[in-house]
Amino acid sequence: MRLTIVAVVLAALTACAPPGENSGSSGEATGPIKIANVNAQSGQLSSLGKWENKGVKLAVDEANKAGGVNGRQLQLDLFDDQGDPTVGTNLARKISSDGYVAMLGTAESAVTLAMAPILKDAKIPNITSGQSPKLAELKSPFLFLNAPTSVTFDETLAKYLVDEKGYQKIALISNNGAYGSGEHDAFSKSLKARNVTPVADEVVTPEQKDFNSNLAKIRQQNPDVLFIGAEEVQSGLIAKQARELGLKAIFAGGAPMGTDVYATTAGLANAEGSVVSSPYLSNEASPAIKEFAAKYKAAYGEDARLHVAKAYDGASILIEALKKTGGKGGQELADAIRGVKRDGLLGQYNYDEFGVGIHETKIGLIKQGQAVPATAS
Amino acid sequence: MRRRLLLLAPIAVAAWLLPYGLGGYTMHVVDVAVIFAVLAIGLGLTMGVAGQINLAQVAFFGIGAYTVAILTSRTGLGFWPAAVLAILASIAAGLLVGIPALRMQSHYLGIVTLGLALGFINWVTNAGIAGRAEGISDIPVPPLFGIDLSSGYLYYYLELAVFALVLVFALFVTRSPLGRRLRAMRDDDLAAGALGAEIPLLRMTAFVLSGLYGGVAGVLYAGLIRFVAPETFNIGNMFLLLAMVIIGGRASIVGCVIGALGLAFVREALLDVSAFAQLGYGIVVVLVVVFFPKGLAGLPAQVFRRKTGERPRLSPFVPYDEVPPADARSVLEIDQVTKRFKGLVALQDVSLSVPARQIRGIVGPNGSGKTTLFNVISGFYTATAGRVRLDGASVGGLAPYRLSLKGVARTFQNLRLFEDLTVRDNILVALDRTRTSWIWRYLALPWAVSRYERSLRGRADEVLHRFGLTEFADAIPRSLPYGIQRRVEIARAMASLPSLLLLDEPAAGLNGDEVGRLAEIVRSIRDSGVTVVVIEHNMGLVMSLCDHVTVLSGGRVIADGPPDEVAVDPRVVEAYLGDSMAAPTEREAEHEHADR
Repeated sequence: MRLTIVAVVLAALTACAPPGENSGSSGEATGPIKIANVNAQSGQLSSLGKWENKGVKLAVDEANKAGGVNGRQLQLDLFDDQGDPTVGTNLARKISSDGYVAMLGTAESAVTLAMAPILKDAKIPNITSGQSPKLAELKSPFLFLNAPTSVTFDETLAKYLVDEKGYQKIALISNNGAYGSGEHDAFSKSLKARNVTPVADEVVTPEQKDFNSNLAKIRQQNPDVLFIGAEEVQSGLIAKQARELGLKAIFAGGAPMGTDVYATTAGLANAEGSVVSSPYLSNEASPAIKEFAAKYKAAYGEDARLHVAKAYDGASILIEALKKTGGKGGQELADAIRGVKRDGLLGQYNYDEFGVGIHETKIGLIKQGQAVPATAS
Repeated sequence: MRRRLLLLAPIAVAAWLLPYGLGGYTMHVVDVAVIFAVLAIGLGLTMGVAGQINLAQVAFFGIGAYTVAILTSRTGLGFWPAAVLAILASIAAGLLVGIPALRMQSHYLGIVTLGLALGFINWVTNAGIAGRAEGISDIPVPPLFGIDLSSGYLYYYLELAVFALVLVFALFVTRSPLGRRLRAMRDDDLAAGALGAEIPLLRMTAFVLSGLYGGVAGVLYAGLIRFVAPETFNIGNMFLLLAMVIIGGRASIVGCVIGALGLAFVREALLDVSAFAQLGYGIVVVLVVVFFPKGLAGLPAQVFRRKTGERPRLSPFVPYDEVPPADARSVLEIDQVTKRFKGLVALQDVSLSVPARQIRGIVGPNGSGKTTLFNVISGFYTATAGRVRLDGASVGGLAPYRLSLKGVARTFQNLRLFEDLTVRDNILVALDRTRTSWIWRYLALPWAVSRYERSLRGRADEVLHRFGLTEFADAIPRSLPYGIQRRVEIARAMASLPSLLLLDEPAAGLNGDEVGRLAEIVRSIRDSGVTVVVIEHNMGLVMSLCDHVTVLSGGRVIADGPPDEVAVDPRVVEAYLGDSMAAPTEREAEHEHADR
């Protein structure tokens, strides 16, 4: 008897409306505009996440001081993704259920890739600092990159090394993490297009610290150039250990090698002459960059760098777009971001259908731990 | 049973109503917790119930999720066909991981399964088809009759249905004859084998179940997160899963679920201090293992110790119906059996023949090869040379479970009861005479399994009553006096309805009274038509009980004949030289009794 009552109650429940909440992603018209910043604050890549957050915060604070957007302040909330894509998917859901209009970050392509489908479903535009070509391949109308993809970085690099300098004996060392494997694939492709076969192709893990056996193999080939596809610290360690083994090759790589972290880890002497491909070579490159670097130093007491600059650019683009939509999010905001033409710190932003805004990088050489434009030397 | 169902009803209603009170993100956290609960049930079945240390559960989970991801994104297969293939792939992986379990156990198995799990992670981080470190991100939303499963709320109901199904199946399996055999194998695989449990197949079954649950959880994960990456299936998460099972109580399925849900929410609460979360789980696991070895599930029993009401008493043995003797065929024939261990010769050309309905005594000094002979007869050892025949058919080299099914039952010199099973369950293990290949019924005909289980329980009550153990039915063997444990072991051996019963020192450690009752039981067993072979040091008992005695010394038969003839044989006297002749005889024990 009681069982039948339970059954009746259950049947009645099924007839009710399904549970759920009204997705308030486009936000209310009053109160602060909520922007989420997702970045690793713990784990291996937390330094990257902290820089990104400082850059974003600088832009948002400036906008708020100048009166916000349509008189509404911007509220920037920081979430820690721990560098773990699954945590990222959880955060994506949190962001979409808590009424954020847009998301800035993450610095890690794997995390952004994981979050992208959920943000796309929730119609929340995301300006990421990731640069994996896979991000562009998604062709999500809600995903934007604040920097070029690895393809652009490495195409520019290959053009400089092979076409201009005529190096043919090129060795590769890269890690099998998301960034390293992206670099590896992009640079290999650029070499292949020039009919250059790498003399060595070593793959390490992102946690690896000792590269002697890999570098010994590379040394046997006596290459002219060693391409390093790894994050800042690992790139530095590779460069240091390569020189200790007596490897004479020129080091070449992407943005991580333009940082002071790379130069100090490798040692200034070892890093000297490294070739980097980056849209942001130094804090002295232009008057606008100089002004930005000074502002940044005043705010945080440390030198600006690429990660800070591109996060600042991304946040500035978002703010400009929000001004156009009057604080509204969703499809309207995504379209507004696509429409922004900004002369940023990294170059001229002009978004295509892949969500890529910057389409070229510059070649720099490391001198005394600082990247200087190659043409100047 | 009905009351249990009524208890379940409010839980079911609460689970049904839960989403109405939750925010979108909390709902997502619950969705993830339910997936971990499914995984924990699978690990509880393999590790807690079947006793197989399995650190590859997270890899089965990964194989399920990755198979869905690869099939849907690379071949364009629909979600559900991919899900079916994913579960099959996980089960296949379970079989593969189970193979080492046939050869090794305990920590060796732990290391091997851990290695296989690491191998899996290594493969997915490097294989292009698995998306490498970036994972696979375009898994479609599972279609379901127009219900939008991209909503965490509606997905929850899908999960709830699957969860209820797998939970009921797990509870059903644990409480069925199969689960009992798995638990028996966990407690003592040798004894379980001697009672007809097919150990290799049971171990494989445990890993298949593990693969099945891992696969189901993986499919649910792929449908919910719609993204897979290597980090999700790393060793840190395996540890979390292990912690869930240990904190919840590994031998209890419901405990595993509580542990999984509890720890999933603790993990959520610790999200802001995630760097130290692992340390936190570690401390909790250590505390639980030290203070509550049975986990949360064992807590009620630990807090509310059962009231010690009336002390249970052993009832008298109810003799078997006497069966009139048939032809005097020879039940057991041992022909020139030799057993060597490397250089040591344990048995040398031993021959003996035991006719039906005989009580045959095997005596001899320590180290004379008596127990080795039993181990050869019951299939634990394969004879180096010679033949063993049972009812005229050669049975040399057969596995213990086959011999058990052919009607050989035995007890062990140093008691091998299943320590964590009740007395009734010990008997039930022996009553179950099915082959393990019968297990397809658990999926296809669960009601037939339930019917079989009910008939077994009826027969178990009969056996308990006959051996006077009814009041001890729900006791754990460890907690019982030694004499009663001995009787439980004989009852368990007789529950398998053997034609040949091997008793290895059944009187060891018994007092005079108990020896007398033992003799009464053994005689009744003989009169019911069972042939009994007994190894015994108590010469008084041997003289009064056995119809025929074989004396072993140094691995050879030195005398064979009726007890009174053998007792005066000079070779026997020489071999023994006073050895254990002083133990109390049955007659003396009776006198003592009468004097009181």
